[in-house]
Amino acid sequence: MTRGFLPLLAFVIATGLASLGFATSGFRVITTEGARRLAVEHHPRAVPDVVLVDQDGKRFTFSTYRGKALLVEFIYTSCPTICGVLGDDFGHVLATLRQDGGTSGVDLLSISFDPARDGPPALRSYAGRFGASAPGWRIAVPATREGLRALLKSFGVVVIPDRFGGFTHDAAVYLLDGQGRLVRILDAGPPATLLAEAAHAVS
Amino acid sequence: MPRLAAAAILWFGLWLPPLRSGLESDMALHMTVQIPLLALVGILIAPEVRRFEPRWLAEADWLGIPGIVLVLFSTSYWMLPVALDSALGDWRMEVAKFVSLPLLVGVPLGLSWQRMPPLGRLFVIANIISKVGALGGLYLAAPIRLCAYYRLDQQAEAGSALLAVTTAAILGAFLASFFGWSWRRPFPDAWKGRRAVATAADASPSLPT
Amino acid sequence: MSAHAGRADIAGARDGETAARAVELAYIAVAAIVLLLMMLFGLTMRATQAQYLDVQPRLFYVLLTMHGAGMVGIAGVAGAVVMWHFVRRHVPVSTTVFLANLVLFLIGAVLILGSGFIGGFAGAWTFLYPLPAHSNGVWSANAAAAYMLGLLVIGVGFLLLHLDVLRGIWRTYGSLANGLGLKQAIGLAPEKTGPPPAVPAATMASIVNVLGIVIGAVVLILSLVNLYVPSFTMSALVAKNLIYFFGHVFINATIYMAVIAVYEILPLYAHHRWNTNRLFYAAWVASTVMVLIVYPHHLLMDFAMPPWALVVGQIISYLSGLPVLLVTAFGALTVVHRSGLRWDVPSGLCFVGVLGWAAGVIPAIADGTIVVNSVMHNTQWVPGHFHTYLLLGTVAMFLGYMTWTAKEVPHETIGTEPAAFWLYVGGGIIFVVAFLAAGSASVPRRYAVHLAPWLTYDRIGSLGALLVVLGVGIMVVQFLVRVPALARLPTTTTAQPLPEAAAE
Ligand code: HEM
Repeated sequence: MTRGFLPLLAFVIATGLASLGFATSGFRVITTEGARRLAVEHHPRAVPDVVLVDQDGKRFTFSTYRGKALLVEFIYTSCPTICGVLGDDFGHVLATLRQDGGTSGVDLLSISFDPARDGPPALRSYAGRFGASAPGWRIAVPATREGLRALLKSFGVVVIPDRFGGFTHDAAVYLLDGQGRLVRILDAGPPATLLAEAAHAVS
Repeated sequence: MPRLAAAAILWFGLWLPPLRSGLESDMALHMTVQIPLLALVGILIAPEVRRFEPRWLAEADWLGIPGIVLVLFSTSYWMLPVALDSALGDWRMEVAKFVSLPLLVGVPLGLSWQRMPPLGRLFVIANIISKVGALGGLYLAAPIRLCAYYRLDQQAEAGSALLAVTTAAILGAFLASFFGWSWRRPFPDAWKGRRAVATAADASPSLPT
Repeated sequence: MSAHAGRADIAGARDGETAARAVELAYIAVAAIVLLLMMLFGLTMRATQAQYLDVQPRLFYVLLTMHGAGMVGIAGVAGAVVMWHFVRRHVPVSTTVFLANLVLFLIGAVLILGSGFIGGFAGAWTFLYPLPAHSNGVWSANAAAAYMLGLLVIGVGFLLLHLDVLRGIWRTYGSLANGLGLKQAIGLAPEKTGPPPAVPAATMASIVNVLGIVIGAVVLILSLVNLYVPSFTMSALVAKNLIYFFGHVFINATIYMAVIAVYEILPLYAHHRWNTNRLFYAAWVASTVMVLIVYPHHLLMDFAMPPWALVVGQIISYLSGLPVLLVTAFGALTVVHRSGLRWDVPSGLCFVGVLGWAAGVIPAIADGTIVVNSVMHNTQWVPGHFHTYLLLGTVAMFLGYMTWTAKEVPHETIGTEPAAFWLYVGGGIIFVVAFLAAGSASVPRRYAVHLAPWLTYDRIGSLGALLVVLGVGIMVVQFLVRVPALARLPTTTTAQPLPEAAAE
């Protein structure tokens, strides 16, 4: 063994482990999705209060929902695949909410990231497909391109074109608490789990 | 110097938009073409870097071990889906990728490989083959998208591409050792049928090293 | 790697021969002790099936896992010391790497034993994906991970060892093909110029093991990731093929390493060299090629393949060892025939090893034929087959090497007991025949609790196992008490004394 070998090796291993640990949030995640969820959980983040237009053509902002929990998902109405599942899931959540009397303080919001195609008429037909009605469940699109960009960025949503004129995007459900902060990123799934998390977020 | 020129052309070429976005739009090309080529840039400049390498560093890089460990860490880093994503989503990480792959993978590989004993080299090769194969298997079969910027089908293609690289590497290593191929004597004695190496070795048992 | 290199300095400072001898003795001692311990686990299992003992199924499956992994690993260690000892006479190999393998093996063994007896891991030694991650609460992800990490560490050790042997062969003979004797096999060079018999065997064992370990490492890494990130899955079928390839290759390689003891020790008794003719080299080349052909077969089993390809693959896979077995059996018979050889324990064990190997292959061929396969597979026929060629093949050859090493102590008052030899051989035959008989009566393998009609087999099997444990126990103890004397022996002469000169 030569002089300087062990210190050099120790240095390389230490910096190597440190950078791997940094990239994986302390060896807990290896995907962007995992990192995003972990980050949100530990540091709830405020989302920009952008202006959105809903299926009835009405303008509103996130601050409308203050004091309530809000479940958000990102869709585009001409989506042939996953958005249908997402719509169905929210439909089930809505049904469950209605069963419970509709006073649980949870609202639903589906945001389209395809302003080119999704004007109020398209939003209305999507709403009709899954039985959505404002204000309990709005289908909306950001009023401006800048607004859309800011929203996607702060939610950490990546949308990439697929090969068939549509988009590949994630199927997560975003939970905002009573102060309008993004506190959880959840898997679309059984209404009970989503509502339990939401109830947790308002209280 | 022609090496330096080649390295510079390669590096800038990879950076230029048509090639860069072309290679990065596809996960398989990103992982099996762009990243290795960036490392190659470093390997090309390594002989020039060697002239400026301080003595203490060359000495501390005993048997090339620290250098190879550095290479293993840096390559592991750029194999993480979250790292690939970060390079696509953030131009600063993209710059980091273009700088770190030549400097922290290619150059140390070029410098340390020469210092490694043959056994060390063989071990590193076997190690890398296993790692790339495992990664390929993961990407091929993972039912979820691991990279936010790539579709599931691209991910599976990248998996197949990595497995193809693994297979080729295994085959190459096997054939090279089986027929005794080496850089210095590309045409092995094995097929000349003249030198009876075996008898000489048989008669005098060589001492262990 | 730094630690090994540190030892290199020390080893280099000391006399190389003494160091090599010391490490060899450590290998033999470790192999002997672990072998005995694992045999006790085996005896416990067999006695439980026979209802002589009342071991709970949970513990039984831990024992099954530990016995499987421990025996396969220790067969590797036993094979490695035989291979290294003899191949070192012909090619340069590193004592440091040899020692590193033993150290890594011990670290891995501790991890594996911990995973079983502390963590309760009982997913069988084959850790078939995705079982380790689905324990229903019997063991934790950490226990399964400790097990796999243990295997990985052991794999790294063997990888280093085999790469070092290959490097030595490559350097001395110019290529691995020359190490196998390919030129001699196809008539490009005269037989006499071929490598000594230890070299083709070491070449073949090392080639297939390096490939096997590289593939094994891939599955191990994937399984480890799956443990902690369950959303990362892989095709269970591909995983199974990879694991079985790795497992089969590793366990088969143990016999290709251990058989070197036969090539080198029997001729010393018979006073003439092992006949390394063209056929001998051709057999080693053929076996290597066959294993390598089976390789893609295992990898591709998952994809749609025409039935004939599956059948051919299956047959080659079972027959791949046959060429080597035939030349070895034939060679052993010619060495022994009319040589006036004086039988003693080491020579007897080497000879039994060849017979056990041959006998163990017959049930494998029966099992390999597809029709039988669907009836007998997953019965105790299978442990019957592999215990024959492992217990009476690999282990016999290793014990032959061990007792032969022990004979070097001059003026020894206690010789190796012939009684121990007969206990082991007789008990071994009873033990494996009981498995085979139970298998043809469709007794399933891997059952902790056996039905009343099966008990006869289990009881006879337990008796056989007990005799084996006694016989091997005597040999092991007799070896261990001589270790200090062996370590003190001058090591200037690498040539071993002929049996007449040794004790008797
Ligand atoms: C006294 C000697 C031995 C005894 C009593 C013994 C006993 C047993 C028993 C009872 C089983 C379980 C059979 C079943 O599935 O029902 C078993 C399995 C096994 N044994 Fe042995 N054995 C002995 C020696 C060996 C040796 C020398 C090796 C290898 C070198 C070996 C390797 C294995 C393996 C790989 C399994 C399969 C484990 C599994 O199914 O997961 N055994 N043995």
